[in-house]
Amino acid sequence: MTDSMSLLLERLSRDELRAFARAAEIPGRSRMTKSELIDALRTELQSHSEPKRSKRSSASASEISEARRRRIHAGRRFDWMVDSRKSCTLRTIEGFACGLPAIAGRDRCALHGGTDISDLAVPAAGHLGIDTWPALLRHLLLASYDIDALGLDPVVSEMIWHIANFLYFEYFRVEVEGIENVPATGAGVLVCNHAGAFIPYDGVMLQLAVLNEADLPRRVRVVGTEILNLAPFLSHLYRKAGAAFASKEDARWVLNNGYLLGAFPEGVPAFQKPHSEAYQLRRFGRGGFASLAIDAGAPIVPVAIVGSEDVHPALFSSRRLAQLFKLFFPQQRVEELGVFLNPIPLPVKWRIRFLPPIHPPAPGPGTDRLTVLELAEQTREVVQAALDDMLEERGDSRF
Amino acid sequence: MVTGAATWTGGRLIQRLESLPEVEVIAVDELPPTIEVNSPMHDLAIDELDFAHFFLDTQPHVLIHLQAVDRAAILGREKSHSRVVMGARGLFGALQRCTGIEKVVMKSDSAFYGSGPRQPSILNEATAPKRTTSARSRSIRDVEGLLAEVALDVPDVTFTTLRLAPIIGAEIGNPISRYIRLPVVPTLLGYDPRMQVIHEEDAVSALLHAVATHVPGTFNIAADGQLYLSRVLRLGRRLPQPLLGPQHRAALRGLGTLGNRFPGSLEHYLRYGRVMDTTLMKDSFGWKPELTARQAVLTSYGRVTAPGTV
Repeated sequence: MTDSMSLLLERLSRDELRAFARAAEIPGRSRMTKSELIDALRTELQSHSEPKRSKRSSASASEISEARRRRIHAGRRFDWMVDSRKSCTLRTIEGFACGLPAIAGRDRCALHGGTDISDLAVPAAGHLGIDTWPALLRHLLLASYDIDALGLDPVVSEMIWHIANFLYFEYFRVEVEGIENVPATGAGVLVCNHAGAFIPYDGVMLQLAVLNEADLPRRVRVVGTEILNLAPFLSHLYRKAGAAFASKEDARWVLNNGYLLGAFPEGVPAFQKPHSEAYQLRRFGRGGFASLAIDAGAPIVPVAIVGSEDVHPALFSSRRLAQLFKLFFPQQRVEELGVFLNPIPLPVKWRIRFLPPIHPPAPGPGTDRLTVLELAEQTREVVQAALDDMLEERGDSRF
Repeated sequence: MVTGAATWTGGRLIQRLESLPEVEVIAVDELPPTIEVNSPMHDLAIDELDFAHFFLDTQPHVLIHLQAVDRAAILGREKSHSRVVMGARGLFGALQRCTGIEKVVMKSDSAFYGSGPRQPSILNEATAPKRTTSARSRSIRDVEGLLAEVALDVPDVTFTTLRLAPIIGAEIGNPISRYIRLPVVPTLLGYDPRMQVIHEEDAVSALLHAVATHVPGTFNIAADGQLYLSRVLRLGRRLPQPLLGPQHRAALRGLGTLGNRFPGSLEHYLRYGRVMDTTLMKDSFGWKPELTARQAVLTSYGRVTAPGTV
């Protein structure tokens, strides 16, 4: 690659090279000779061939191309988990062969029992990409695989993963810190601040952060309220993407099977925050996540997300809007809703910080209701402190 | 004694009971039977006192109560509801007075839990059912409540209640089987309910298992795996016709006037779906269905099952 690159660069005139250097924002470019420019450009281009995180806050051309590279790299980083020389042994009742590569060391592919689909999201063909869609659609039409107990459809969720990675890498340019705090195996509760207005992008980005950055692509089973079952079109997509309903039964199923639970304990009140109160955490519900974590002995990983609450800045919160909303979804409990003007989400830069896990006390006679509330409050304080810290770091540059 | 013997499940159950040695079957139903059986059929409606007296006269050892789930599709909503609940009242009253009875197996239905947006994704036997407007759910809850009261009074009798997932199959002509076998299936636009099913033969086997073994309690019975309605239709190569809520209701009612009557509870079911936890079925009840949900759907569509495949 380097050879062909230098050949290409040497063919260009000095003016063309300088224009190139301007695009790459190379300092001192106007005083450089042709050979110096070539060297500088080569080092700049080589430094981009390895995926790395950008420190700049505004989206320049090079950052966008780098984000694209990161996205493609993230789609290909699980190649090693499948054995491309071996095919899945499954044949359906109708006699169709599976045709997908088997998981390394197993007889079956990711869809047909090679891995636990409720926990790990290994791309069925080994990588994410438009070239895998024909195979995915074939299995979707044949309905050859099983969905999990909460309704997770591995094929649909993989398609959503592939599409939403565009939002993750190129639109919101999510930066992740402390991914090592997410447990690599076993149960865990990710507790996260909820976005200010209406559309919960944060749930999707939280899932994608663990899928794209953690060593193993673990699924976060995010919980949602009634709207999860009520909203037409979205309701079954949420389910197929792996969401759970905010109930004790669902959460216990997730934790007792050793999966990751994603909770937004602020709940619906988070949608009532006007933008002036963004990142000021509301009460953490009734602390349901804390009592579940105590019962299951699962660590609580506090997560702070900066960016989500600026996507749809709410001007004020309105009872009228909530009433209008209730006209369509009478069963959803909501008092007020934030009013925002921008129909498309603002391309703000997101930062997600996973904080060191809090290990809940062992269940027993000592863990009463007060312990639960204390644990919830402790988690809330940790998230709030991290948010304040990250906001200070961010300063005025939101995009 | 088998109540509700005229249904397909009843007929098939009696056929399989007759093949066992030393079993005498007394079949009771007021409707003409779906499957011809050798045992005598007694034409009695269970909500009349005649039936309670007949029960006391015959003194059966085992009661298999299949008529605990209403037959709204055949009898209409009001009549069916009162028949099932009042029938259970009379029957369980007679049970208290009867001395020879050893075991009661009741066929309940997953409709016990109802379907709604606030329901947990997996329902276990201890899940409190949510408020419901469906007559079907209400009557099942009433009957199960009555049974629980009676069970306290007669501690020597084994009570087993099976909450069966929707039964599907090529032969059983129940509403859900007829629905999924329509050539063009009216579905709700924007919704894709999660379903759990059980094959007709497996449903009968579950009832027989409850009769043959000593397993008191209430159990969810369903095949392994669950399916979205869209997948069921894809497996059956049926065309879904997405419709808006009112149109969908009208379409189901229209099909009803053409001879395919569907209960009102089907509409809620097709919006929100329902899935039960079957851990107790495998552990405590000690029984496993032969066909998975996917196999059950394929066989009910009459599609070939090759050996050695999933």
